[in-house]
Amino acid sequence: MAGVGFRRWALALSKGKGPGISGLLSGCRAASGVTKDSGLGPYPKTPEERAAAAKKYNMTVEDYEPYPDNGEGYGDYPKLPERSQHERDPWYQWDHPDLRRNWGEPMHWHFDAYIRNRVDTSPSPVSWSSMCKQLFGFLGFMLFMFYVGEKMPAYQPVAPKQYPYNDLYLERGGDPEKQPEEVKHYEI
Amino acid sequence: MADYQEAPLATRPKTLDPNEYFNVSTDQRRVEQSRAALRAELKRQYQTQLNNPHRKELIEDPALTRWVYARANPYTYFRPTFKTSLLGAMFGVVPLFALYFIFKTDRDRKEAQIKAGTLERKFSLSS
Repeated sequence: MAGVGFRRWALALSKGKGPGISGLLSGCRAASGVTKDSGLGPYPKTPEERAAAAKKYNMTVEDYEPYPDNGEGYGDYPKLPERSQHERDPWYQWDHPDLRRNWGEPMHWHFDAYIRNRVDTSPSPVSWSSMCKQLFGFLGFMLFMFYVGEKMPAYQPVAPKQYPYNDLYLERGGDPEKQPEEVKHYEI
Repeated sequence: MADYQEAPLATRPKTLDPNEYFNVSTDQRRVEQSRAALRAELKRQYQTQLNNPHRKELIEDPALTRWVYARANPYTYFRPTFKTSLLGAMFGVVPLFALYFIFKTDRDRKEAQIKAGTLERKFSLSS
């Protein structure tokens, strides 16, 4: 630490863009990882910048299309079609068969969402509008019918429960000597 | 083959796309050739490294490194515009205050009801 200047140390800790801990400790940095030019660059404005960015990402200049520059942090990362890995040819000999991707191929920004365990953009058997109508139609119908059932219940006629032995006179603590009044639950 | 229907839940393969055969100009063919050349070059690099008998380490994928770096550093080129600040406010600031107010008023109302003795205490499990 003493060999490296205090200024660089303070800069690295405050901004987080310095050479990193490994650089601070030994005075040199690792050769792997992202170099200054191979990382994310700013949005390309001139055609030369676009060509350089396309070359960096291993794409042709015609295919390379960066995300629109509205401050969302994409930089010059290419905007690839929103297709999940489910749609790629299952029979081609990919370099990484589970990811259906070749080595060095530019990765979609949302690649981790489009892997084969997750979001699938394959065409559905029925159109989206038809699916929505079926699902919400069914749910809406069921909700409506349950609501109607709450408001207007329909059940077998019920009456209060009828107990024998003169409405359980003795069990309810009535006097055994006294004669209870007769309770008749029927009519003939 | 003219009446080919795509398999359900699958996109049409490129080799069966009629545009591939009928509406293609030489420029498009040239672009496709350059794409194929890029792909072939990448394949060549990968296969050389893969089949190198003296290789002991993992094959580093620069596209993957770039992707990870890009996803980990979204604020390098972030600019507060109308849209980004609105999104940030909607997701970060508004729920905080809105939920506080919603819960506070609901619980205050319940507390007042309990104090006044008007809260209906049913035996059902759901509420």
